[in-house]
This record gives sequence, structure tokens and C-alpha cells, in this order.
Amino acid sequence: MTKKELKRESIIQASLKLFSSNGFHKTTIPDIAKVLGMSVGNLYNYFKSKDILAKEIIKYTSEILGQEIKKVNILDISSEEKIKKIVELYFKMAEEKPEMIEYFLRVYLSHREVFSDGCEGMLCVSGFVTEIMIFFDDGVERGELRDQDFFSAFGLFMGYLGGMVFLKGENILPKELHEYIDDISKNIYNALKV
Amino acid sequence: MSKKPKLLWLQSLTCNGNSHSFFNHSDLFSILSHFELIHFPLIDTKYTLEDVLNKRVNCDILIIEGSIKHGLEKCGVDIATLIDYYANEAKYIITAGTCATFGGMFKEYDSDNINGFAFDRDKAIDNFSKFRKKLISLPGCPIHPKWLSYVLLMIANKKNIPLDDKNRPQELYSITVHTGCVRNEYFEWKIDTHGFGHKEGCSFYENGCQGPFTRGSCNKILWNDVSSKTIIGTPCFGCTEPDFPKERLFFTKTNMGIPQKMPLEVPKRAYLTITGVAKSFNIKRLERKLIEYNNDN
Amino acid sequence: MIIKKLIEKVEGEANLSFEFKDGKISNVDIIFNIYRGIEEILKGKPTRDALVITPRVCGICNHAHLIASVRAIEDGLKNNSLEFTLTQKAKDIREFTLACELIQNHIKWLYLTIYPYLERLLKIERSDNHTLKASYIANTITKAMAIFAGQWPHSSYAVVGGVTCDPTYLDTIQSLSHIEDAIRFYEKVVIGMNLDDYLAIESISNLDKLGGDFAKLLYLLGKNEFAKIGKSFDRFISFSDSHISKKAKSIITTVSAVELKFVKEYKQKDSFAKGVKYKNRYFEVGPLARAMINKEPIVKSLHKKYKDATLTRVYARVHEVALLLKQTKEILQNLDVTQESCVLDSKIDINNITGIGTVEAARGSLIHKLEVENSLIKSYDIITPTQWNLSNNAVAAKAMIGLDSEDIASFVFRTFDVCSVCTTH
Repeated sequence: MTKKELKRESIIQASLKLFSSNGFHKTTIPDIAKVLGMSVGNLYNYFKSKDILAKEIIKYTSEILGQEIKKVNILDISSEEKIKKIVELYFKMAEEKPEMIEYFLRVYLSHREVFSDGCEGMLCVSGFVTEIMIFFDDGVERGELRDQDFFSAFGLFMGYLGGMVFLKGENILPKELHEYIDDISKNIYNALKV
Repeated sequence: MSKKPKLLWLQSLTCNGNSHSFFNHSDLFSILSHFELIHFPLIDTKYTLEDVLNKRVNCDILIIEGSIKHGLEKCGVDIATLIDYYANEAKYIITAGTCATFGGMFKEYDSDNINGFAFDRDKAIDNFSKFRKKLISLPGCPIHPKWLSYVLLMIANKKNIPLDDKNRPQELYSITVHTGCVRNEYFEWKIDTHGFGHKEGCSFYENGCQGPFTRGSCNKILWNDVSSKTIIGTPCFGCTEPDFPKERLFFTKTNMGIPQKMPLEVPKRAYLTITGVAKSFNIKRLERKLIEYNNDN
Repeated sequence: MIIKKLIEKVEGEANLSFEFKDGKISNVDIIFNIYRGIEEILKGKPTRDALVITPRVCGICNHAHLIASVRAIEDGLKNNSLEFTLTQKAKDIREFTLACELIQNHIKWLYLTIYPYLERLLKIERSDNHTLKASYIANTITKAMAIFAGQWPHSSYAVVGGVTCDPTYLDTIQSLSHIEDAIRFYEKVVIGMNLDDYLAIESISNLDKLGGDFAKLLYLLGKNEFAKIGKSFDRFISFSDSHISKKAKSIITTVSAVELKFVKEYKQKDSFAKGVKYKNRYFEVGPLARAMINKEPIVKSLHKKYKDATLTRVYARVHEVALLLKQTKEILQNLDVTQESCVLDSKIDINNITGIGTVEAARGSLIHKLEVENSLIKSYDIITPTQWNLSNNAVAAKAMIGLDSEDIASFVFRTFDVCSVCTTH
């Protein structure tokens, strides 16, 4: 990565944390610049506005999540085992980098107006959605998953995981996320299998 | 004495569709003027079928129509053996249509005994190694008249025809049926045609169109000079391919809404990435009816 | 004495075996010995696939098979109390493309079969122009048709509930130009007079105005005993209503209703083709049958004088082209492109149905019957026009019996417009 790319990524990571913890509207560009020890003017050289930054962050997190799922997709294991690995990596990410999942839930899904221009539909999350599609397609092709509407399967899978992370974030869950992996994986598999 | 190449059209197990398709050619007579027509199933020729069956004729170019069925006889003559006889004699062998090339529709009746001349579906059989130097495969159900005339005129003009690994002319089969389809803009933006009977929309997503993964130039060289299946809204059934006919021909096989078969050699990940992007925009113009017929005008 | 003849270029081949007694043909066996098993192939297939498979029965009347097939499925759905009505537009387009197929068929028969083999039989000078003429019409008419059907042969554009095409006036106008070209050809070359004037002729006494190849053909046939020979049962049948036909039968010119349940197929020895009868009797199908049932004045006038002789049979087929050309032109001129093309959802489940589809193909009534169970075809039965006309002891055989030459008999046989591939599906 070039120096400029590294800087760009550090801005994204810092903003991700601020947006997730302080909220999108309360976080300003000067706040982000301050955390990074850079000038506001220089930050604008990287991202022309807070809205653009917000969109870049969702693409960035989607890509990272997508790359992780891709590693699972290319393994020669059953769909049941893949489901468990995807649940594991999702929860691991939620525990280790809670800001990424938080950002998705609290910024991306809650401030749709920010994303209306340039992040239409699933445009900014396609890195992640594509890998989920590959996973589903492969599972049906191998005769392990039931052929059904994409969104009914997608909603079940991701809504479930997002819901658990949300409950965790609200401090409602009595146990740690990873302790739910086995049950949740089994539930998802049972719901999707042929 | 005529020095024109002698053309023999020989039928095995067929519906006659290739003969009729070729007969539709708008330049039939100018094409045939380059050859001495020994026998053709529709036209009154100098020689009769009995002459052909009794090996009383010679040929330079042998056109085979129909699947090869072992044991199939006409007037006591075994047709597979007769085809081999003329194949040995000919300088060029053209398998006209999917039946003659890969086995086609009629192979389904008795798969073990019915094949193409040099292929059993996509698998090359003995005749392929034996005749590959003079074999030209022209699959299609039926054959496109202009594909055949291209091959015949290339031979008449002593030109070399670039062929692919199944001896199909590259100039005809290196592109897909999708190439040139008037509905391509709808494919680009992933807009389905929503049932049948609409000018608008693409048939790849739901109606089973095989155009993007079927080799052939149906939309580059139009059918009957005017149209094609996909143009008028009928899905491409993949009739040039070795596995024609597949099943559920009016439905796209999908896995959770994702088309099972990808455009030729396009990785699924690449396709889905582009699809996600394209689908995210609602292009109003492409979602509207193309034409509003207003009776008040 | 038995004389065997191979009849080629009848959409495949037929083997005729003539039995002679006292110098006259006493029996003819008609043998088609190729079998492609299309009905077997259809078993177990998803129902809609029939729309792609059945056209492959025949290279020249593939479209009729498509229409019979789609009608059989639609009939089955209606029997299962699914209510729907095709739009006039969809009906018109189907009729149009069907009529186009009939036209190219009849003209090919006239120029590729009748003229060359008559010249051969009569040992008169043969003309190369026949093929050229047939080619011109085949090319022109299939263009007109492909604008709607996408291609010919082997289109599958008729789907359950309508058609796949959604034509514009740009399409109908271009198609109309091709039809007008075909009409011009028919006027100048075939009948040598104006189409409307020709269609106004109602009696033989006015046929002297006729010119062109048709007049020449009638002259040759009349001069050579074909007005007297080729007579058969004089019983005609048709199972489909259309512009040129009615679902009815005609026995000695009396027209009455028919019911499909009386149609019965039976196995024949030494032939892969099945025979077919109505109420245990043979009936003739085809253009002559349609004209007799429809009481087409000029054909009735010929029939009054020559009965169902070869001349009448040949006349009816060439005459039908005139009716079809007029019909195709009228359909295009009146087609309302703003209506729906297809009224049924493309995904409706087709299950547990039994249906029958009939259509008037070039050679006569074509019947498709299907049974669907568990969304798959359980049985499929195709009864082709040629089975009616060409079974042993049936119409064509009767027309040949009593003749004293196998060559003349073979020509009489060809006047039925034989389709070997249809017979041997």
C-alpha cells in the first residue's frame, strides 16, 4: 500500500470508531482530523465531504467482510460447516471490531438519506452480498441448501446475525456472542437445508 | 464436363428441417451455381436417391443431415455405412445441424445407438479422428442457411476456414447468441422481461434464455434475414450446443434466484459483482413501456 | 405381380408396393420405415418443453405442430377450470403464421413436386424455373412470418396463453410488404390474373380467365386423364375451425358435425406409422376436405363435375393459397398491436391435465393429445394428416387402386402432398 492509501485507510478506521460510538450526526470532520492529528484541510484532500466518507466506510467494511467470507467459500467443506464458519467470523468481527458491525447497524441502516445518492440498493455492500450469493448458489448447486428466493434466505441469515449483535450491543445478551455459535449455526442450517 | 465441386446432401434420421432451412436462403441459386448438385432432398436433381443408395454417384462435398442410427436402412441399404462410404470419398464433410453433429433431439429416443457423425454429445467418437481433417461441424436446430452458405462458398473459393476444437467455424461460433441481441441493454441493467409478450426486458433471468452461453451467430446473421428467437422474446434454447435439448426450456434454472449457468466463461463472482452494481440503479427509461400507443393521436 | 417403388422427396421417403391383377393395381402397401420416437421422447418431460420438441417432428410443418401442442396444453388447462381467453391479437398472429406456413408448403408442393414429376411422367420438357419459383416464395413468406415467429423452421413462439412476440406497426408493415410480394408473385406467375378477380370465380365455366402456371397445370392434368382418376372415398373431415376450415365432415357433399372421441388410431403391419379412422371409416383430410366442408364455390363446382379426382384435389390445394394470401393480408391490415400478447403468467403450474389440440396443417387436420401428471408429460399422442390419407387401404390407396401403371399411381400418390417425416414421428 502506498503512503497515501495507508493514510486513507487510517482515516476510515478512525471515522468508523467515531461514527459508531458518537453517532453520525454528532461526529464532525474536525473531530476526525483531531483524532488523527491532521489538518482539516488535508483530510478534505482525501474525502471531499462527510457523506462521501460515510459511503466509503460502508464499502470498506463490506469488502473486508466479503473477503473473509470468500476465504470460507473457497474451502472444500459442506454448507453446514461453512455456515458455522461464517457465523464464527461474523461474531468474531463483532467482538474484535465492534465498530464495523455497529457502523452497519447504527449508521448505514439508520441514516439511509446519507446513502441515497451513490449507495443505491446494495451498491455499497456488494462486496459482502456477492459472497453470500456465491455461498447460497454453491449450497443449492451441491444439493445441500433448499432452492428458494434469495432474499428470504438472505434475510434469515443476516437478519439473525445482525439481531444478535444488536442485542449484544444493547447489553441484553446474558452470554458472550461466541457461546451462541453452535446453536445459531444449527438453526440457520436447519432453516436453509433441503 | 463440369469442374464444379459435386455436392451430395445425404439424410439419416431427420425431420428435414435443415433442408427446408437452407432452401429459405435468399441467394440459394447463386450459391448452388458454384456446385454440381448430385442430390438434395427437396429439389429435382439429375440423380435419384436410388442412384445415391447404390453408390452410382461421386461427391466432393458431403452434407450430412440427421442423427446417425446404427441399423437404420433405406431400401435395404445401411445408412451409416453409406455415409461412411461417401465420407471416405469426399474432400469435405459438413454435418448440417445438431443431429448430424452431436446427436441432437432424436438421440434421446435411443441414446446408446444414436449419435452425431463424429460426436456423441460433446465427446468425439472414432469418426472424429478418422475424418477431422475434412470435417466441418455446423450445429444448430435447424442449421442457419447463411452459416451453411458461408462454408460452401469458402470451399468454392478455395479458402481456409478457421475451426475450433469441435471443428466448428470460428467465424460463426466464437460469439454467443447473446451477441447482437436487441435486448442487450436490458441484460446490461439486469431487467427481466416479466413473463412473455413484451418488447421490453431480457429473457435470461426467468424465461430460460440460453443466449449468453450458447455459441452461434443468430443475432449477428439474422434468421430469415429479419429476426431471431431472442429478438421477438422467445428464449434461446441452446440448440447449437452438444447437450441440446436440455430440460425446462422456458425457465432459468436458478439457485436462490442466482442463474445457475453463467455467460460463457464468465466467473460467477464477476457476474454477481456486476449484477449487484447494475441492479442498484433503477433506470426509469428501461422500466417503462417503450411505446405508448395513444389512440387520441 | 408385385412392383416396389421408392418414392423420394416426400419430406423423406415412402416405399410403395403395388400388387397387380389383370394389369391393374389391386392393392398398394404404403410403407414408411423410419421411426424417431418423438412421443416416447416427450414422456417424462416438463410440459412446456413440448413446445420445443414437437416442432421437430417435421421440417416443413413444424409450426402446425407448435400450434397443436400449445392448444393441447391450453385445452388441458381449461378442462382443469382455469379460465382465460386469448386476445384477438394473439389469435390473429397465430393464424397469420400458420397461414404463412401453409402457403410456403403448397407452393413448394406445386413447384418441387407436382410440376417436376408431372413433366417427368408425361416426358415433356422440364424447366429449372420451378425450383426458382418455389425458392422465391419460401424465402418471401418465411420472412413475413419470422417477423412474428423469430424464425422458420422450428419456432417456439406460441406459448401457453398467447405468443412471445410483441410486434409494432413497424413489424406489421414490413411483414405486409412481404405478403404483398407473395401476392404479386401468385397473381403474375401462378394464376395469371388479379387475386380478387380470381377469388370471385365461382364456377368452372369462368375458369377460362385463369392463366399462369395454374392454368397450364390444369390443362396438362385434364388432357391426361387426371380428371377421371384418383377418386377415393369422397368423404372428408376437418377438426379445427379457422378461416379456411370448419370442424365438420362432408359425406357426399352433406356437411355434419364431428366429435374427437370417435377418432381411433390402430397399428398397421410392416409399417411404423399408425392408421387412423373416424367411426371406423376412412376420411380424407387436407385442402380438398377443407374446401368441401367450407363449401368453397369453385371447388364444389369442380367436384360436381369430376368428384374427388386428382384434378379436383390438385385444384383445391393451389386454390387454397389464394384464400390464405387474402387472409394473411387482412390479418396484418387489421392487427391491433396494442392488445396483450400473452394473458397467462409464464410460471403457472401445468399439472394433472388432459388436453387435445387440433390445427389445420397444410396436409389436413393435425391432432395432439397430452396427459400431464406430477407436472410431467405422462403420455403424448400425435395424429398427423398423412396418417388419415396414407394408411394402408385408406384414401390414397383407394385413389391408386384400379390404375394400370405404377408411375401414374405414384404421381397420384404425390398429389396428396405426402409427408414422410410427419407420418413417422
